[in-house]
Amino acid sequence: MKTILAVDDSATMREMVTFVLESAGYRVIEAEDGAQGLDRATSTSVDLVITDQNMPNMDGLTLVKSLREMRDYKSVPILLLTTESSDSMKSQGRAAGATGWLVKPFDPATLLEVVQKVLR
Amino acid sequence: MTQKTTGSGDARDAEQAADLLVTVATTLNERLAVTAGELARSQDLLREASNELMTAFRGAADRIVAAQREEDAAQGEKNAEYGLVLDHLYRAVQHLQSHDLVNQLIDAQKMRVDKMREKLEQALSLASPPVSRPDQADTWIERSRAMLDCIVAGIQQIDQDARAPLGEKHRAGSVDLF
Repeated sequence: MKTILAVDDSATMREMVTFVLESAGYRVIEAEDGAQGLDRATSTSVDLVITDQNMPNMDGLTLVKSLREMRDYKSVPILLLTTESSDSMKSQGRAAGATGWLVKPFDPATLLEVVQKVLR
Repeated sequence: MTQKTTGSGDARDAEQAADLLVTVATTLNERLAVTAGELARSQDLLREASNELMTAFRGAADRIVAAQREEDAAQGEKNAEYGLVLDHLYRAVQHLQSHDLVNQLIDAQKMRVDKMREKLEQALSLASPPVSRPDQADTWIERSRAMLDCIVAGIQQIDQDARAPLGEKHRAGSVDLF
């Protein structure tokens, strides 16, 4: 069973993501911000990270950069799931090493398609 | 004596302008207080509704995920009913996210209003102490300028601090894989 780390400061959003992924058979662990996400990723082996961008303590782009500096996360897919939709933010995400960018509110079927694709 | 002086007429005009600025700032601050109250009330109502929806959603979601796991463990055939229920829950997921995003949007607006009120109060406090030379127009102009600087700095700060969480509507749900 693949393990996915869902990072978002909104409890509702985490719950939505977790439900959709668990309903498709994935194991999900949650984190409330980038710093906690980094802790979780360090202590647990994760197959995919889905993170929000604007969060307290550590934002999504900083989390992506920090994970990419870790040997175990050089090639693990990382998706940004955020309300930010500007091209400049997406470029920053790409430069930081993100695998993809999804704009909220997400469509569950689309999220599952993307997850399956990047986990292949 | 060559010291530059300003006529008393000019001083009176400058004083009236400063008074007008105080009146405008006070009135605006009162209106913003009403707006802040309405935003808080709207958010309370929305939160209440969201909580009820989330409780109902959580109950249904937990049941369907547990039922799916039991069926997977028993290696039975996939029940078509589960698929139907999931479709309904997935639709709910999209709308519940909107509730959450609207809550965040209201938070951002509340922050803007609060910061603006804070700056207006700060500007008004500059008008409180009696001026040292009331017969000089420069004194009143200086005071008005300080108040306006404070308000303008507040407006600039608001845009930096309060970021609306909702992006462009047509991009919602879009996907870019790099």
